[in-house]
Amino acid sequence: MDTIKEILNYYSNNGGYVWEQFFRHFLMSAYGVFFAAIVAIPTGILIARYRRLSGWIISLANVIQTIPALAMLAILMLVIGLGPNTVVFSLFLYSLLPILKNTYTGINNVDAKLLESGKAMGMTKFQVLRIVELPLSMSVIMAGLRTALVITIGVATIGTFIGAGGLGDIILRGTNMTDGTAIILAGAIPTALMAVIADLVMALLERRFDPTKKKKVKTVTTVS
Amino acid sequence: MQDIILFFQNNWGEFLVKVWEHLYISLIAGMLGILVAVPLGIVLTRFKRGASFVMGVLSVIQTFPSFAILAFFIPLLGVGKVPAIVALFLYSVLPILRNTYTGVRAVDPNLLEAGKGMGMTVLERIWHVELPLAIPVIMAGIRLSIVYLIGWATLAAFIGAGGLGDYIFSGLNNYQPELILVGAIPVTIIALLVDLLLGKVEIGVTPKAIRKIKEA
Amino acid sequence: MRIKHLGIAAMTTALVLFISGCSLPGLGGPSGETVKVGTQTISESKIMGEIIRQLIEHETDIHVDMVNNLGSSVVQHKALVNKDIDIASILYTGTSLTGPLGMEAVKDPDKALSIVQREYEKQFDATWFNSYGFANTYAFAMRRDESEKKGIETVSDLEKYKNEIRLGVDDSWLQRKGDGYKGFIKEYGFDFENKSPMQIGLVYKALASHKMDVVLAYSTDGRIPAYNLKLLKDDKQFFPPYDASPVARNEVLEAHPELKPLLQKLTGKIDTDMMQKLNYEADGKKKEPALIAKEFLEKNNYFK
Repeated sequence: MDTIKEILNYYSNNGGYVWEQFFRHFLMSAYGVFFAAIVAIPTGILIARYRRLSGWIISLANVIQTIPALAMLAILMLVIGLGPNTVVFSLFLYSLLPILKNTYTGINNVDAKLLESGKAMGMTKFQVLRIVELPLSMSVIMAGLRTALVITIGVATIGTFIGAGGLGDIILRGTNMTDGTAIILAGAIPTALMAVIADLVMALLERRFDPTKKKKVKTVTTVS
Repeated sequence: MQDIILFFQNNWGEFLVKVWEHLYISLIAGMLGILVAVPLGIVLTRFKRGASFVMGVLSVIQTFPSFAILAFFIPLLGVGKVPAIVALFLYSVLPILRNTYTGVRAVDPNLLEAGKGMGMTVLERIWHVELPLAIPVIMAGIRLSIVYLIGWATLAAFIGAGGLGDYIFSGLNNYQPELILVGAIPVTIIALLVDLLLGKVEIGVTPKAIRKIKEA
Repeated sequence: MRIKHLGIAAMTTALVLFISGCSLPGLGGPSGETVKVGTQTISESKIMGEIIRQLIEHETDIHVDMVNNLGSSVVQHKALVNKDIDIASILYTGTSLTGPLGMEAVKDPDKALSIVQREYEKQFDATWFNSYGFANTYAFAMRRDESEKKGIETVSDLEKYKNEIRLGVDDSWLQRKGDGYKGFIKEYGFDFENKSPMQIGLVYKALASHKMDVVLAYSTDGRIPAYNLKLLKDDKQFFPPYDASPVARNEVLEAHPELKPLLQKLTGKIDTDMMQKLNYEADGKKKEPALIAKEFLEKNNYFK
């Protein structure tokens, strides 16, 4: 088809630029997830210990999650300004819930008997965390990171509206052109691919971390 | 703040139209999603192998960034509400489908046997046994789907579908912060309200006995 | 609970980083030697932005970050004032006069230019350079054969068809202050019944393929000659002149004295015809603005 030829043509002329945006897009998403992990994993552990807190912290994260992405980006732009940093911050916010919830569930699901044995062996609370709870929850936490990464890749696409760059730039240019289908696809395909590949890689990591190796690789990401 | 109040005073009619447009595209897409996903989910419980394939394909589609899919439909279906609804519909299917599938599968086979024993046909079993028991889970999926759609419908304004996203885009394009807020805040409130409402519906359709187990 | 404390410390650090505007590794250059150039969504702005970027990077050691897809020149203005960008690739005299400066439209292009140059220096501590050589004005456009058939030459001629015409406009013009739709109704005394807001890039094809009857076009778009469209005369002179220039913050010009002469090299080098051609390369032939800029600069030997 002509469109396919056009797309290939576009890539051969502008490969460097496309790669630059691809990398930038991924970097913003990765930063968002990374910062969220630093905050959400400890918090998840905390609320697993102090159940009373769990209710409202998870509700708060839930509320953040429900805010429509474009609205969030636009409002943050008014406060923080344009550019990639604003997008990374909003991606951070969107990654909180999946990681938080999964850490909480993962830690909670650790068999109480194992915790008892750990205590009986004389482990400190921190050692129990490091040696028993975290390894056993790693797989579930990984699932949370995976969901977060897919979400952030999606949201980063609309970062283009506040000057952050990324593959959304290409898609936007395509919509402004006459007969820009090829360009829209040239931007949309790598974005979709990035999300799918990220999902797959994270799924593999998720399985690697499962100490029981009983779970099949889930190709369906879970945000329940 | 003054500007926002002034804007509402002058344009409340237009504002209401946009709210309606927004809800319209989200709900129509959601309804279509339910119409397709629930029966499909029930069918898939009969074909387990087909199930993982179909859900695999759908979850791949789910990973595509919504902006990419919306833009993709411009050359195919043009601009306006129709392409927006089609794109949003694609997103609504998976959560509902997955939950229908899991919900129906989780129905105790003994109950199905009992139904068969009572002389129920397959359709009667679905209608009287499986569906009612699976409804809480299905409802959870519908809730997830619809709240998700309301969020992404803001983007649909970009392809001429209307809705509150129009204000956000105009605000971004003209640097009018009050417009951004007139779009962003109501749409967030609507999303939260719908989430709350559907949450209550979810609890409402959960049979009392199961509700007690959940709370424990 | 040491992890928790670490987490909170990390969050605070991250927040501070964002708010202070530091760039994260990989997403921007070192703040000292980086200059940010802002561009609008339209190709014209991106092409000029890329020309500026490549000229700077070719001739100096400065690294340039692009801040793209700003919605309009008003957003560029705001971004400049907020120091989110250092150079606005294009600002238009008419838009800045009636928008950010909140003044009455001035019909004389030279007068308009001297006013904005004076006011930007005074109010925003920014230098508004002389024009690139072209002006991009809003213009109502029709299919040439249709306008000849109906004998429509000016905007006022449209009044008798105001209820039948399907009008396509860019989605922000309807809400725009000053030179937007509300101002138009006041000046010309009539409004259009069927308005379809859409992405500006879509109006040209919509008009050419008979989906729209009249659209509000940007006069330097390359598709106007390409699709044989006719621009109607603004007989009441509602639209002010929109001469195009780069605008830069004085703070940055002083920090990097090599920038000013470079930007001055670009003034007067691109006329309307040339801009239409360059625009067509982007919108019609689908070339990336970066590539178009490179070819343009090489052809002109970087204006050495």
